[in-house]
Amino acid sequence: MTYWSRRLLGALAVLFAVLALNFALFRLMPGDPVTSLVDPRFSPEAKEALSRAYGLDRPLGEQFLLYLKQTVTFDFGLSFVSGRPVWQELRDRLPHTVALSGSALVLAGTMGTALGVAAARRRGGAVERVVLAAGALSFSFPSFFLQLLLLLAFAVLWPLFPLRGSVSVPAPQGAAFIADYLHHLALPVLSLALLGFGSWALYVRNLMVKILGSEPLFLARAKGLPEPVLLWRHAFRTALPPLLTLILLSLPGLLSGAVITETVFSLHGVGRFLLESIQGQDYPAAGGAFYLLALVTVTSNVLADLAYGLADPRIRVDRRKGQ
Amino acid sequence: MIAARELRLRYRTGSRQVTALDGVDVTFGEGMTTAVVGESGSGKSSLVTALLRLLPRGATLSGTITVDGRDITALSERELARSYRWTTVSLVLQGAMNAFTPVLTLGRQIAEVLEIHRGLSRQEALIRSGSLLEETGLPGAWTGRYPHELSGGQKQRAAVAMALACDPLYLLADEPTTALDVITQAEIVILLKSLTKRRGLGLILVTHDLALASAVADRLVVLQEGRVVDEGPTEEILASPGHPHTAALLGALRALEARP
Amino acid sequence: MSLLRRWSPWALLLLALAGLLGPILLGEAEKTVAPPFSRPLWLDRTAPPTVHLHLSPEVREKTLDWIWEPPAGLALKGTYRLPPGTSGKIVWDGPSGPVPLASLTGAGSLSLDGRDIAFRLRLGLSPFQSPLETLFADRGSYRLAYEGPEPEALSVELHLSGGRWGLLGTDQRGRDVFRLFLAGISVSLLIGLAATLLATLVGTSAGLLSGYLGGPVDSLVMRLADLLLALPLLPLLMVLAGLWGRGLWQLVLILGLFSWMGTARTVRSLTLSLREAPFVENLRALGAPTWYILGRHLLPEALPVLLATVTLGVPGAILAEAGLAFLGLSDPRLLSWGRMLHEAHGFGAFTAGAWWILLPPGLGIVFVCLAFLDLGRFLEEKADPRLRETLP
Ligand SMILES: Nc1ncnc2c1ncn2[C@@H]1O[C@H](COP(=O)(O)OP(=O)(O)OP(=O)(O)O)[C@@H](O)[C@H]1O
Ligand SMILES: [Mg+2]
Repeated sequence: MTYWSRRLLGALAVLFAVLALNFALFRLMPGDPVTSLVDPRFSPEAKEALSRAYGLDRPLGEQFLLYLKQTVTFDFGLSFVSGRPVWQELRDRLPHTVALSGSALVLAGTMGTALGVAAARRRGGAVERVVLAAGALSFSFPSFFLQLLLLLAFAVLWPLFPLRGSVSVPAPQGAAFIADYLHHLALPVLSLALLGFGSWALYVRNLMVKILGSEPLFLARAKGLPEPVLLWRHAFRTALPPLLTLILLSLPGLLSGAVITETVFSLHGVGRFLLESIQGQDYPAAGGAFYLLALVTVTSNVLADLAYGLADPRIRVDRRKGQ
Repeated sequence: MIAARELRLRYRTGSRQVTALDGVDVTFGEGMTTAVVGESGSGKSSLVTALLRLLPRGATLSGTITVDGRDITALSERELARSYRWTTVSLVLQGAMNAFTPVLTLGRQIAEVLEIHRGLSRQEALIRSGSLLEETGLPGAWTGRYPHELSGGQKQRAAVAMALACDPLYLLADEPTTALDVITQAEIVILLKSLTKRRGLGLILVTHDLALASAVADRLVVLQEGRVVDEGPTEEILASPGHPHTAALLGALRALEARP
Repeated sequence: MSLLRRWSPWALLLLALAGLLGPILLGEAEKTVAPPFSRPLWLDRTAPPTVHLHLSPEVREKTLDWIWEPPAGLALKGTYRLPPGTSGKIVWDGPSGPVPLASLTGAGSLSLDGRDIAFRLRLGLSPFQSPLETLFADRGSYRLAYEGPEPEALSVELHLSGGRWGLLGTDQRGRDVFRLFLAGISVSLLIGLAATLLATLVGTSAGLLSGYLGGPVDSLVMRLADLLLALPLLPLLMVLAGLWGRGLWQLVLILGLFSWMGTARTVRSLTLSLREAPFVENLRALGAPTWYILGRHLLPEALPVLLATVTLGVPGAILAEAGLAFLGLSDPRLLSWGRMLHEAHGFGAFTAGAWWILLPPGLGIVFVCLAFLDLGRFLEEKADPRLRETLP
């Protein structure tokens, strides 16, 4: 099997496992599955009809197949709370969550990489101390605490940014809407980036220290190459594939961060939807949101794997085996 | 001529200090092959690093190195990179198998020294890299290959091609043949010898293999515990070792050869 | 021992002690003690503090120096039982002369409030006049006293509500933030340690079996670990907490069962490298059973590394618990730091500008996590001295 087909199969396996887990979570919980999937406030006839729709009167195997079919077609049922299809609710919110996590990832990644490289280049310097401290803090600072502090500082005491929401009410039109949206997004993204860049910088630093001390870099230095060429063309290019792995590894955490961030800042997004669904015991909605978050993670894992393969010639090019 | 005087190299790891070179006085002539022999840990690789002034963190070097009259110890890091490393003295490394940057093609790694030191355009440099590869017996089209696509011996040939790219005056080869099979070892040594001879380069061959050294070197330098204990033309040293350590090394060699 | 020269073990010991003794010495954290969002005592000394004066058969008189504006409210509450046929009174005495607050006869209970009209009338005020202006007309030394015969029982408390209370003020329900903070220590430490221990137990068993047995067991365990690592942890924990319950032990179980993967990987690779060691091969050749080799020889080898892994794993569990509690997915009766922040966020601590509710729980979490990280790094270096060179 080639690298690619192996990775793809792995991703499919994870996806299937997520599906199975989701199925089991909401059906094997304590109590009657009917109450967990059908709103208890419905009339008996409505309950009947709904449990038939979910196949709750059929054997478990058949239920699973039905569930598979529904989930793969994004048919998560109706939300108990709004009565709208869960998928519509999610589709409205997904872009916001992606915008939040995506821009935080880009910002934290850029900051972390720049600082990590700088720290590795000047061992024992001020930048290195900053990186080490930021790294330790990013493993011990609860995201919501930092966010609450930022809110207190920049939304209450010194009101530069809005306290809550994704857009102002009422929302402005046209270009002003985009500006307003970004204004609301700024503090959440900044907080996620502040939390994320430390561990990123620490990782980059450790990786670069190792690479800068390795034999290829010794030879490159013997070649009389200028410092930037050594640093970026040789060292950083070598570090790139594992860095892409780091993206892969940081995505689940980032989504977890998004759930909390959306809650703290009252943003419109999948994470807060999940929380509200769980709190409101809106099980179809919670199941759909969880599945969607897991799906985003699995998809980005596949993409990161792909990027890793493309960045590392040892995987991309394998002529001797005739690929 | 490379002349090193009173070279002293100390490594420091944590609180531990290791003296790798302990007052080395040695000269390497141009256009000839000098072999540096010594047992493992005697400071051979340290001498090579010192000659290129490529010290790891925490290492200190004292003494003087002059290359064709130029005082290398006085040069700044920038000047070393600009006008000394690779243009005057280049290097083939002990573990050349892993010495290439794995994510860049061979062509790129050879061409970059031509672009930087010789001012060639990328296109010219790539073409020149191809002919350098051919000189060492590899197909010129392999400039597009990545290091992992080559065998150990092929990588070592590519390393030799890269070392010759900027027409240096001296070539340092630190155990260029360890981890290769006997036949490939011989091929590489013959390649090094013939290419340096043709171009009139001084070859400094670092090895713990006295048999190999005595077969190819014009002069021998024997290192022991960071000191030069014996130095001179190969035949003279072989005929009358000037130091008990050389004699011991030779004795071991004879014993090996005498084995049926 | 070099361990004793680190700051972290002492810090953790101190915290654990504070967490254990605090509730015993200071009392119930759940109790409302002062108006909501009272500031800490040491802040803004020009505002009147909240004061409780308690009278009992032993202490029948309390004095108080009052140098502020009159307090915002006053309440007198309690129970008493006097000898039959006698009567006594509660007197408020100050620079402008004594004022009887209540007269007591027989046995009964008191519940007077400065807002009660009857109380105001009895003090000779109009129904619209606040008694506080009269009772605190001057600054100076005041005295609350019971006057009368020896009471059989007396427990009367005068509450003067001001804007300041205690070391760290009060929260939105008027609870003492410092007591809540102390109560949070044990929750954090308990959940952090218990969940990590459970995770380590599961991870070690999985890693040992996986590494030693190899084959299908190995691939099954490792694929499962990969799978769990690829899932977004917090959403999963949220769903589980929402579905399975939110009590202390449920949280421990959930956290423990979903964070064993790292330990399993470490232990597995360690086992793999030891499996081929000559002494293990000899044992196998001698016919030693698998569990014996695992338990007596491989586990002790892995122990130092495990100790470091446990310690380094605690911050993750503490942060996860705090995150769930912050989202409101923990038992409301569980007074944890995450819960405090949840309430601070949800009940207007911001608009009240009450940073003293925000900082203690947050800094507490940071501090505990840093302490465990420091300790873990130390143990890691002990277990593997090579790390000293690469780690700063
Ligand atoms: N980077 C370093 N840090 C600390 N000590 C070092 C370092 N490099 C070499 N040494 C020490 O310096 C001494 C000389 O090492 P060197 O590598 O020069 O020996 P060598 O003759 O090349 O040996 P070999 O034949 O095994 O390659 C050894 O004692 C070695 O342990
Ligand atoms: Mg060497």
